[in-house]
Amino acid sequence: MSVIYQLDSRILEGTFEHFRDCGQGREECQVLWLSSWTRPEVITKVAHPKHAPHHGGFVLDEYWLNDFWMELGNTNAGIRFQVHTHPRAAFHSPTDDAFPIIHKPGFLSLVIPNFGLDPVGFGDAYLTEIQADGSWRQVEISSRLRLV
Amino acid sequence: MTEDIHRENAETLEDLRNAEHDLETALEKEHDAQREVEKAEAEVEAAIREIEHPRVFTVEVLYNGVKKKFEVRLEEAVKRLLEQAIAAFGPLPNPHTLSLYKNGVELADSQSIKEAGIKPHDLLLLRPSTVKGGA
Repeated sequence: MSVIYQLDSRILEGTFEHFRDCGQGREECQVLWLSSWTRPEVITKVAHPKHAPHHGGFVLDEYWLNDFWMELGNTNAGIRFQVHTHPRAAFHSPTDDAFPIIHKPGFLSLVIPNFGLDPVGFGDAYLTEIQADGSWRQVEISSRLRLV
Repeated sequence: MTEDIHRENAETLEDLRNAEHDLETALEKEHDAQREVEKAEAEVEAAIREIEHPRVFTVEVLYNGVKKKFEVRLEEAVKRLLEQAIAAFGPLPNPHTLSLYKNGVELADSQSIKEAGIKPHDLLLLRPSTVKGGA
C-alpha cells in the first residue's frame, strides 16, 4: 500500500518560488520535500539544495550534501520527494533515473515543466517512483500526493 | 692470641662470603622483580591500547535521517561495512551509486577500517556519491 503524502499548498507555492528565483526561467532547479520520521506522510518542509549547472541540468554541491545529511539525522527528518524543473516538457531523463538523492523503492521524483514558470500546480507535471528492481515507473500524482 | 685473631679473621671472611651470596641472591630477586614489573607494565599498556583502539567496536551509519549501529573489526574492508549498511537500510537497488563518508570524505571500498581512520562511535554517512538531474 503506497503512502499518499499530504502537501500544504504553501509548501507548493514555496517550491515554485525557489524554481523562479533560482532558475530565472533559464536554468533547471531542484528542491526536496521533507517530513518527520514520526509522521512521514505529512510533508513539512521544502529544502533548496546548493547546486550548480551541469550539462544543461544541475549537480548538487558535495559539501552541502554532507551538511544536509547530518541535518536530516539531527532533525529526525527524511526526504520523500525530489522535485525539479525541466526547460520544456516534464519527464524523467536518463540522468534523472541514474542519480537520484534517495535510492529506496517508493521514493518519488516530481518533474515540473517550463522551468516552473507556469501557474503553481501540477499541470503537465510528471511523477515517477522507484520500483523494487531500481527502475522508475510513472505514477498518477493524485495516487501519491494530496494538496491540503 | 694469634690463634684467636686467625679464627676471628676466618669468621669475618665467612661472614663476608655469606653477605656477598645474600647480596647476589637479593640482586637476582630484584632483577626478577624488575622483569615482573616490566611485564605487568606491558600488559597494562596493551590493555589501555585495547580500550583506546579496540579491534572490534561499534559505529553508526546515517541514511536519509535514520541512524543504525554496526559492529566492525579493524582489519575488515570498508566495503564490508558498506554492504552491511546497504542491506540494513535496504532494499537499495543500484548500490554501486552509494558510498560511505567520514567527515565529508568518501571512503575507498578497498581500505580497511583501520586504514580509513574509523574510530569507535564514529558517525558515517551513507549517501550517493553524485546527485544530479536534467533534461
